[in-house]
Amino acid sequence: MSELDFLLSFAAVLLLGMFCCGRDRRAGWAAMAVYGAMILAVIAAGARVSAGQTIPSALSFSILGQKLAWRMDGLGWFFTMLTAGSAFFASWYAAGEWGRAQKRMKRQHILLALNVLAMILLVNSGDLLSLFIGWELVSWAAFAMMAQKGGPATPAAFRYMIYALAGAMAVFAGIMIVHSITGSFAFDAFAKAVPSLSSGVLWLLFALFAAGLGVKMAIVPFHLWQAPAYSETPGASSAFLNAVSARMGLFALVLVLIKVIGLKTLGGLSLPLVHVSAKTLLMWIAAFTMVIPTFIALMQTDARYLLTWHGIGQGGYMLLGLLVGTGLGAGGGLMHVFNYATYQMALFLAVTAVIHRTGTSDLDRLGGLITRMPWTYVTLLMGIIGLAGLPPMNGFVSKWLIYRSLLDSGAPFLLIMAFVGTLGTILSVYKLIHNIFLGRLRPEHEGIREAPWSMVAPMLALGGIGFLTGWFPGLALDLTDIAQSAIGAPVLAHTLGGVVTPRGALDMIWLVSILLAAIGFGAIVFYLMGNRRYEVDQLNNYAGGHFLSPDVPYQFSHEFYPGLSRVIGPWYRGSIVRLERAIGTFADVAGDLWQGLFRVAWTPLYALFAAVIALFWAVNGGMQ
Amino acid sequence: MTLLADIVLMPLIAFVTGLALVLMARRVRARIERRVGPPVFQPVYDIVKLFTKKTQISHGVMHDLSIVLLLGGYITAEIFLPVPGFDGLAHQGDLLTLIYIMMVPMLGLALGVGSCANPNGSIGISRALTAMLAYDVPLAVAVIGATMTYGTTDLVKIVEIQQAGGVATWGAATMPLLAIGGYLAVHGMFGKEPFEIYIAPAEIATGPMVEMSGKYMGALFVMQCFQLYTIGVLYVTLFLGGGENWPAFLLKVFAVVFVSIAVTNVYGRYRTDKVVRWMWKWPTGIALVGLMLVLARQGA
Amino acid sequence: MTDKPLKANERPPAGAEEAAGPAARDAAGPGQACPAPSPQERGVWRKIMDRFADHCRARSLFVLHYCTGCGAIELPPTITSRFDMERVGITPMVTPRQADILLITGYLSIKTLKRVILSYEQMPAPKYVLGFGSCTINGGMYWNSYATVKRLDQYIPTDLFIAGCMPRPEAVQQVLLQLIEDIDSGRANAWRDYYRNYDFYLGNQQALFGPKWNTPTDVIGEAEHYGLAGEGTYGPHTKLLAESGGTPMELARAERPARAITGRRKP
Repeated sequence: MSELDFLLSFAAVLLLGMFCCGRDRRAGWAAMAVYGAMILAVIAAGARVSAGQTIPSALSFSILGQKLAWRMDGLGWFFTMLTAGSAFFASWYAAGEWGRAQKRMKRQHILLALNVLAMILLVNSGDLLSLFIGWELVSWAAFAMMAQKGGPATPAAFRYMIYALAGAMAVFAGIMIVHSITGSFAFDAFAKAVPSLSSGVLWLLFALFAAGLGVKMAIVPFHLWQAPAYSETPGASSAFLNAVSARMGLFALVLVLIKVIGLKTLGGLSLPLVHVSAKTLLMWIAAFTMVIPTFIALMQTDARYLLTWHGIGQGGYMLLGLLVGTGLGAGGGLMHVFNYATYQMALFLAVTAVIHRTGTSDLDRLGGLITRMPWTYVTLLMGIIGLAGLPPMNGFVSKWLIYRSLLDSGAPFLLIMAFVGTLGTILSVYKLIHNIFLGRLRPEHEGIREAPWSMVAPMLALGGIGFLTGWFPGLALDLTDIAQSAIGAPVLAHTLGGVVTPRGALDMIWLVSILLAAIGFGAIVFYLMGNRRYEVDQLNNYAGGHFLSPDVPYQFSHEFYPGLSRVIGPWYRGSIVRLERAIGTFADVAGDLWQGLFRVAWTPLYALFAAVIALFWAVNGGMQ
Repeated sequence: MTLLADIVLMPLIAFVTGLALVLMARRVRARIERRVGPPVFQPVYDIVKLFTKKTQISHGVMHDLSIVLLLGGYITAEIFLPVPGFDGLAHQGDLLTLIYIMMVPMLGLALGVGSCANPNGSIGISRALTAMLAYDVPLAVAVIGATMTYGTTDLVKIVEIQQAGGVATWGAATMPLLAIGGYLAVHGMFGKEPFEIYIAPAEIATGPMVEMSGKYMGALFVMQCFQLYTIGVLYVTLFLGGGENWPAFLLKVFAVVFVSIAVTNVYGRYRTDKVVRWMWKWPTGIALVGLMLVLARQGA
Repeated sequence: MTDKPLKANERPPAGAEEAAGPAARDAAGPGQACPAPSPQERGVWRKIMDRFADHCRARSLFVLHYCTGCGAIELPPTITSRFDMERVGITPMVTPRQADILLITGYLSIKTLKRVILSYEQMPAPKYVLGFGSCTINGGMYWNSYATVKRLDQYIPTDLFIAGCMPRPEAVQQVLLQLIEDIDSGRANAWRDYYRNYDFYLGNQQALFGPKWNTPTDVIGEAEHYGLAGEGTYGPHTKLLAESGGTPMELARAERPARAITGRRKP
């Protein structure tokens, strides 16, 4: 049994186990143990995969003369590791008090295991049809996970399903076109046939695959479904979805467009009049995906929605880096996938802890929780520093790599868009941490306790991983090397501390060490000079001579950026929302028309006619 | 050994120069208002007085830690900023790193002000972050254009390239539009009128400083010294040829800050949305034109 | 306390200043944050640091821009070009947290006195109060009114008074220079009196505002933190304060006992 088979069987066994015993109190810990074993299996596979081998699986079957097989190469290994790691932390979080407080934890366990199994099947697929099978499995498993809570989750999940099905049909159409050209589903056959394809066919394939696979990634203009769907999922599962599920779309895009079709081909494929190549078009779509959802996130008043909108934006960064294609760009993009998984999970688990304790995630009705939930605050702080891409966390390194690659390839306007996205992120994450943890503590939250250790430990572990890979980015870059060589991008030469390029270097070991030393020196200056501090109550505050009392709120939370909203608010005219609604209305009208055609009063008469004609044809045709 | 000397001396030089810059700012303001202005050691008196206050009011551990983060962030930024004779760690972290390190103190200040639980402070930080979004866009355009012209983001090399041919190879001479757009962005970065919206003393009770007293406010004063110095030196390094020697370098830094301060004292204060709109129109527009000229020149 | 007329700068005889016993001196108790030993007891290093600190403190003073009454009209000329306070290092600041000097410029109505006391307590020590105008000395023009306060230093300790109605900027300058000299020589210590004789001041405040008067500032806690709590700090009036329930936050906490929330409630 190869390591891939181990992984598949672990996931299948866990799924069955959760079916029968998911209600048990220790089910969460058992799930965590199994996912931990899967991580070990992935690490064991890593030794073989990094040497360039692919690990085959025993799972394969033949259909219509085509052989479908599953195998693990570098890219699949990377995403499998992310999947197993995210599931491990999600189940750890849900194993203790949080799981006990949920109404249907068994269902969550089952669906998490199902999603993991589906994702492993997807990322380790060996040809186009197995890719499609995995794709559909992932779509449906994710739908089940999103819809499980009911209530507002149902329309959001249904909307996701419509997008996903439409995208899947586009992908299927593309696969069928490839099959009709090459006669097989194998990746190699496709790659070999690409240079001989005409530009029209290539554009069609590019459009079908980019749109179909990009729907899962929620690139603009398909970005409307992701935030509500991911936000209404229960906490730990939502963290898992945020961290990995959207990256399935990125995986498939990278596989089909970058590895199989190739960036050179995409770069040479240009629109006739405007001379914009497919690669540039996709890069600009990624750039808009970076900027637009980030500023939508800024306006959100629900903490979960804010984070999920940021997830859409960060996907744009990853796609952009991978599309640049150089060692720096691909390394930055892949490392961003890894980094994003760590800090987005940390952020989402922290917000779920807040919801668990206070019962609300409304940013206008929280505040001052730092005194009551300090460890959750620390996690959220590490998460937002990572999300904003500031040193010393890992998000800074991947963003630096992506910026560097954009500079080297001479794309200044894309770099400006990336920078604007980062600035918007900084604003919006500060709003998140301020409205939840800083400011004034509300009287109704006076009695809140910190989240239990079963919830705090995985959060802090994720934050710690982020800090560690920020200090020693070589650790994460070793992992992305494996994936990078698998997709055919040049390998990034890196040290433990960072990279050295001829035009500018980054050494995180020096940077973080100096930063910590400077903070230490600042602490010496601050604590030793000057007298000892005296801590005061939050009511002992400047209010223009006014006497503060606990029943009158004295907090600035609502509409945190009014000046900015006044400027960019009018730019968000809801065009894409209206387009979506228009398509829905069109489908409604077309359905009504179609119904009007065949739904008439004389149905038995039609049935009689159809039976007579069929009898006539059977008698006549059957005679021959 | 020289690295250790760099690490210790560079922040110290930055602090002392920053004190002189703060004094210059107050004296220039006084002269414009036909007054005398404070004595020479006034910034030192202010900082010592604040640190020796008997009452140090704190609003929690985060309040203290954020001030420490603030100081630490700027000290780190100084070590990565090359000055004549001291390269520091400029080879291990380039221009992009420096710009990101300069955002760490802002984050520290934001966290500290948030923990003060005063809405005046929170409004001040909201405005400060919005203003940061506003002026960072033209700054990004100017920095990117400069980087593309020099072909590197290593600050030491950028200075070397500019000093190779005297004044004619300075950034301001080879990319005048980018230099102008960058200067307008830098003026916004100083946080002086007309972009002083985040302090706004009469409106929001000095915004972030509202609940800062004693050594907390002293640390903010120290931050102001570092801030004037860092931004001035950054602009001089990018567009004014860096420092061939100490007198020329100091002259350039003081000139950059002087022009900004002189303009400041004759302006009122723009509203937040006006800051955003103005910054995204004029400096960004000028810098974008400059960037396109740079691209055209490189393509040709 | 008898209500005999006090001269300017005269401290109420609560016994702390005149008594020569050790309890009267600001002794450094265990765990005191900023022990303030009496001038004779300090070591050499401490003397040098205090001298340096006083030197800097005298040359950098922030005035709280708090305009109480009509005397505030004389502040702008003192700050601006003609009389230029910034020459001696004095600048206006906005909040009590940032200010060193509280200028009570004019008459004080009862309503304003509450806010003045709140602002005074929010200012970090060392802090200096200047009574500006005759209204703060003996009621001035409103000596016969039922709605104003006649003697400022019965409610908060005052360093210097400026007579006049209202005093011209030259008079203001003279007093500020006198204050600078006092600080420089270490004589301006009226702020300690608030902690040392809190019961006296609180008593006067309670006589005006009622027995339930309190501010969010924990003055007794601060007095203990800074080692200035003495015999005059506690008394019948502070007992009333403690009985009234304490600070508003403590009152609120008493109404809502801490309870743990472990599950999701309906948002």
